[in-house]
Amino acid sequence: MESVVETVKTGTSFLEEAKRRSGEDLSLCYQCLKCTAGCPTAPFMDVRPNNLIRMIQMGRKEEVLGSSAIWLCVSCETCGTRCPNKIDIGVLMDALREMAIEEGIPAKERNIHLLHEAFVQSIKRGGRVHEATMLIDYKLRSRDFLTDLIPGMMLFLKGKIPLFPSFIKGREEIKRIFEKCEKK
Amino acid sequence: MDYLYFPGCTLYTKAKNFDQTARNCSLLLGFELKELPNWTCCGATFPLATDNLMALLPPARILASAREQGTVLTTLCAVCFNVIKRTNRLFQEDGEKRDKINNFIEKNYQGDLRVVHYLEILKQEVGFPQLKERVKRPLTGLRAAPYYGCMLLRPFEEMEFDDKERPTIFEGFLEALGAKVVEFPYKIECCGSFQSVGSPDVATECAYKILGSAMKNGAEVVVSTCPMCTFNIDHKQSDIKQKYLDFKTIPVLYFTQLLGIAMGLDHRTLGFEQNFVDPLPLLKGKGLV
Repeated sequence: MESVVETVKTGTSFLEEAKRRSGEDLSLCYQCLKCTAGCPTAPFMDVRPNNLIRMIQMGRKEEVLGSSAIWLCVSCETCGTRCPNKIDIGVLMDALREMAIEEGIPAKERNIHLLHEAFVQSIKRGGRVHEATMLIDYKLRSRDFLTDLIPGMMLFLKGKIPLFPSFIKGREEIKRIFEKCEKK
Repeated sequence: MDYLYFPGCTLYTKAKNFDQTARNCSLLLGFELKELPNWTCCGATFPLATDNLMALLPPARILASAREQGTVLTTLCAVCFNVIKRTNRLFQEDGEKRDKINNFIEKNYQGDLRVVHYLEILKQEVGFPQLKERVKRPLTGLRAAPYYGCMLLRPFEEMEFDDKERPTIFEGFLEALGAKVVEFPYKIECCGSFQSVGSPDVATECAYKILGSAMKNGAEVVVSTCPMCTFNIDHKQSDIKQKYLDFKTIPVLYFTQLLGIAMGLDHRTLGFEQNFVDPLPLLKGKGLV
């Protein structure tokens, strides 16, 4: 009996935390599946968006934060646009990614997290994203050197990726802004 | 009238043809794009988590510096448009965050800028009927599929761009150029976005569905407003071909490239060499270049 009570307790706290972080009322979901039906990456997810909400309601925190689903979401917002209860799952997914990082749960789709990091680094460096150095950075982080090598070379040959990054004036300003915000 | 213009990183590299054609066409249509000085990357995603202020700093800095120069800001890239417009809205609606961000970026921006997409300038300022009159080389007989993707439209309450499921602005534009508009059910579907780097299979599958649907409905060319989408549906066609042997390639053009053809620009200035699938055989066949 005791264990049942305990499950309910933890369950509620994860649901409350997810609600608070996302600002979305997840209790309203009645499993109509419109989100999953419209989701472009759902076929590749280990847990589909509608199931993810149900699992949050049930308090299955480790499974939710450890899922590939939260990293495969690209925030296209089709789910939120179609949800009859106005639950914006894109917002929820962002909140879950943050919670996963804070809890130290390794991203199941590791490469996507690494790409995000390489992207921010690229802005920190020069103010603008420079695809060539960003992708080299990403490749070093992910240690995946062969995927996209050929399309990358093609882009390079077509003059789509310039060799040298262009730096803007005011890089000091960008650096200062980053530092200020990181300190908060 | 002149418009402040934020090009965005990709329009300086992978999508130079998008940037150049838009600039050249605007001059022919009587307005100029005045590039913002010292712009940075927009951040490329609007942060959805409520406490993530850092991701709002780049677009906020862009907006603040644009406000110092004028009152209307335009973009071409759908991703930049999405991020900048939503950040502007946040500045209008959330005083607390506005003050916090202003403090970080050392500015005092109040959200009083109008952010418009290039297509909106064509519709609202130039006007599609007037655009039609100025077309020198109508795209008669060209069956073009307008591909919106996500970023122009969603979330629709914030973007206020067009209908959430049945948008029409792109169709109106193509009709003004004299093209035959191809309706297809995947026109507002997601292209797979940045998954093309982390999980390429996901993006290849998305692109296959979008292009397949357009071709099934008779499209000869797919028209895009977004460099990210264009990367996935144009450059990924080599991957699609490896996976689906019966797949036939289809040219993908930026809407400004089609505008350039219709406005009578020399095709050598339209940057077709940057398009992965060569559109010239098709355009020559139609007598458009």
